Amino acid sequence: MLMARKLADLMLNIENLVTEYGAVRALDGISFTAAEGKITTVIGANGAGKSTLLRTISGLERAKSGQITWVDKSLIGKAPESIVRSGIAHVPEGHAVISQLTVAENIEMGALFRRRQNRSDVKLAVEEAYALFPRLAERNKQLAGTLSGGERQMLAISRALVSRPKLLLLDEPSLGLAPLVVEQIIQTVDDLCRKSGLTVLLVEQNANTALAVADYGVLLSLGKVVANLPAADLKADASLRAAYLGY
Amino acid sequence: MDQFLSAVFAGTSRGAIYALVALGLVLVWRGAGVINFAQMGQAMFSTYVASTLIMNGYSYWIAFFVALIVGTILGAVVDLLVMRPLSGKRSSAMLASPAMRGTIPVIASLGIVGILQAAAGMIWAAEERGFPTPVNSLGLTIGGNVMPFTAFDLFVIGIVMVVLLITTIFFQKTGMGLAMRASALNPEVARLSGIRTSSVRTLSWAISGAASSLAGLLVTPSANLSPNTLDLILIIGFTATVIGGLDSLPGGVIGGFILGLVISFVNVYRSPSDIFLAILVLLLIVLLVRPQGLLGSKEVRRV
Amino acid sequence: MFKRIQTGNMIKVMIFSGVIFFLGKIFDAYNQGQLSVVLMYFIGILSITFLTGLAGQISLGQGALMAVGGYTCALGILNLGLNYWQSIIFSVLASLVAGWILGVTAARLSGPYLAGTTLVIALAIPSLANRFESVFGGDVGLSVEFGAPPQWLVTLIGEIGFEQWQLFATLPFASIALYFALNLFKSRTGRSWRAVRDHEIAASLAGINVQRMKIFTFVVASGFAGLAGAMYGLRGIVGPSVYPISLSLTLLTGAVLGGLRSIGGAFIGAVLVVFLPDLIETLGGTWEIAPQIGNYLPAMVSSILLILTVVLNPAGIAGGLHHRKSRHK
Repeated sequence: MLMARKLADLMLNIENLVTEYGAVRALDGISFTAAEGKITTVIGANGAGKSTLLRTISGLERAKSGQITWVDKSLIGKAPESIVRSGIAHVPEGHAVISQLTVAENIEMGALFRRRQNRSDVKLAVEEAYALFPRLAERNKQLAGTLSGGERQMLAISRALVSRPKLLLLDEPSLGLAPLVVEQIIQTVDDLCRKSGLTVLLVEQNANTALAVADYGVLLSLGKVVANLPAADLKADASLRAAYLGY
Repeated sequence: MDQFLSAVFAGTSRGAIYALVALGLVLVWRGAGVINFAQMGQAMFSTYVASTLIMNGYSYWIAFFVALIVGTILGAVVDLLVMRPLSGKRSSAMLASPAMRGTIPVIASLGIVGILQAAAGMIWAAEERGFPTPVNSLGLTIGGNVMPFTAFDLFVIGIVMVVLLITTIFFQKTGMGLAMRASALNPEVARLSGIRTSSVRTLSWAISGAASSLAGLLVTPSANLSPNTLDLILIIGFTATVIGGLDSLPGGVIGGFILGLVISFVNVYRSPSDIFLAILVLLLIVLLVRPQGLLGSKEVRRV
Repeated sequence: MFKRIQTGNMIKVMIFSGVIFFLGKIFDAYNQGQLSVVLMYFIGILSITFLTGLAGQISLGQGALMAVGGYTCALGILNLGLNYWQSIIFSVLASLVAGWILGVTAARLSGPYLAGTTLVIALAIPSLANRFESVFGGDVGLSVEFGAPPQWLVTLIGEIGFEQWQLFATLPFASIALYFALNLFKSRTGRSWRAVRDHEIAASLAGINVQRMKIFTFVVASGFAGLAGAMYGLRGIVGPSVYPISLSLTLLTGAVLGGLRSIGGAFIGAVLVVFLPDLIETLGGTWEIAPQIGNYLPAMVSSILLILTVVLNPAGIAGGLHHRKSRHK
């Protein structure tokens, strides 16, 4: 019975998550759920804890307390490489590609762990990535360090996609990129999400861009969740925007 | 002319050994960000094992392969017992600065040499031993003329070329090689790609262990085996990596051959006591012009 | 404020000298000799404390700088006719110059490239002894010594044995070096070095001339090493066998075991490095350990200690004590 499917299926459930950097509580009891197949955006001012949230989910940072549940498993205490194998891909902000490797190698890297089980699907995934971002196909023998900012972001996302994730964590994809490029990338992610049912957790500094494509919005401030609303509602709420986003 | 040729060949065959040592050092540097000063200590230990086997009647090749296996295991053990716990220590303030993060593993590897040398002393009483060669080590006779090099020299050069070829193909063309390069260049992104960076690191150590055992086995016939004979080889091999560029496998090999030739020529045409001065001068010249070594990459990676 | 620190340091130095002098009177001859070696190693390890602990530069060649000190001191006595303390000062000056040369070369390098260069220097300098055998005495080396204690001292404190004189002759230099080290540690230079060690880019942005600081570190460290080496050689002989590559490693071991970042740690390290082998030998004798094992036990134990220290407590003994003290505040 399709209706009886567990609510917890393919949803990311976060409960009272606390992450500390020394004495500072970067995440101070975060709780929310990322709905399956939807884009949930996490917005907030600098230092609100957005990147830390993604890094804690993907295992790069260790949570002090709280719970992260994905499908029916807890992610707390797991190493990043095993979290990837559970179907979660994280595109970190900044240095998300390895400059000294070629474009092709960067993409291949994302699928290495799947090669043994499913060679043909890996090949397919790589082809799909090149189809999604044709600019990468043109440059596939070049060193990643020679790409433009936008191309590097596309490459980072491709690397994440070839692992066939069910959940994509995107950390500030717009950082340092021209608005047109940002639009193109966000649009591509949006299309991908709608077509394949990928769940996306999108951290963005640029609230407008994010809320334009997102289904839900989580507003963070100083490590706490201040609002958790459908994106349209969040966008419309001028007082929240003024208080936490400064405009 | 004969003197010149024999210097060339002695230099090339010795250079091949240094190239092997350099390979092992570059492997661990690229794979784990550590200079493994214990490398030749490991080689010494595995060669002693091989020598013991031979003394007890086993054939050269069996001893050879056992030594390689021992070296591989030693390499992995060093990573598992010492290096992994080291990299797990995040709490100490000492490791906060990049300078110290590079220094501490070096000191640890010095400790490992100490243990291995002391162990060799305890187990085998540090007795000096000879070591056989699998092929003739007299001057090779081709077409009735005695050449200024031996079949063993050719054997050594041949093996090193094969090893270089295999490792280059491995690194550039295989998935595991890519995993190793990625883990070394950017461990965070590698982990986010699902690569088990700590297992990959252990593999680098293991492979390096095999390479250094090989170097030990090949160099020992011409220099008697004792706990300290290989120290100098390590230092020269390390200099080879510095000259060639620490993160470049071909650089290390080239550096090894250059040093081998330089040492050989200084030996023949000047005097043995000039060797270290010559090395120092060569080192300074290279580093003055290219501080990252001949083929090294410009950015000094901080692990 | 600094004046007050200096007075405090002066008091520490006087207490230090007093204690060592006292021990020098009550120890037997062998341990007097060992204690003088402790002082020498202490100064040598201080060179690493400043170079590596404070400024974050790795050098595997401090033993070679000790050799520079040793040889220049010996040449001063033999060829220039200086007496022993004039010669020591001469050798310190020479070491400062050597340190400057080393610093200029090394300041452009970092990490393993620096380590490699210092390692080769550590081998090249002693090999000079063989290269210029007539000057440096080749493998055999040059023989020098502290000489006899001055008459006024003997009148003052009574008969002075050979090793005892070694100790008493070393002590003033060790005390001066200690005073200098204590001051340097807390000085602006010391803070600049720490800044360079922890974050080069930030340090240069804060106005510190990073290159000049690095060179200065090498100069100072070489001064200490040269002083240590000069006195080390005055025990009787200056030759390549007195300053082998293992000397550099021994100093490094002592520095790490005792505590890389403190002066107290340097002293603890020196004590360990000198007295631990004796201790183990005695234990080996009491427990009747076979000579084959017993011979290598000191090396095995100190290597294991080194690894344990590095893995479990990288700050060394001094660092561990300091940590414990501040936790109980």
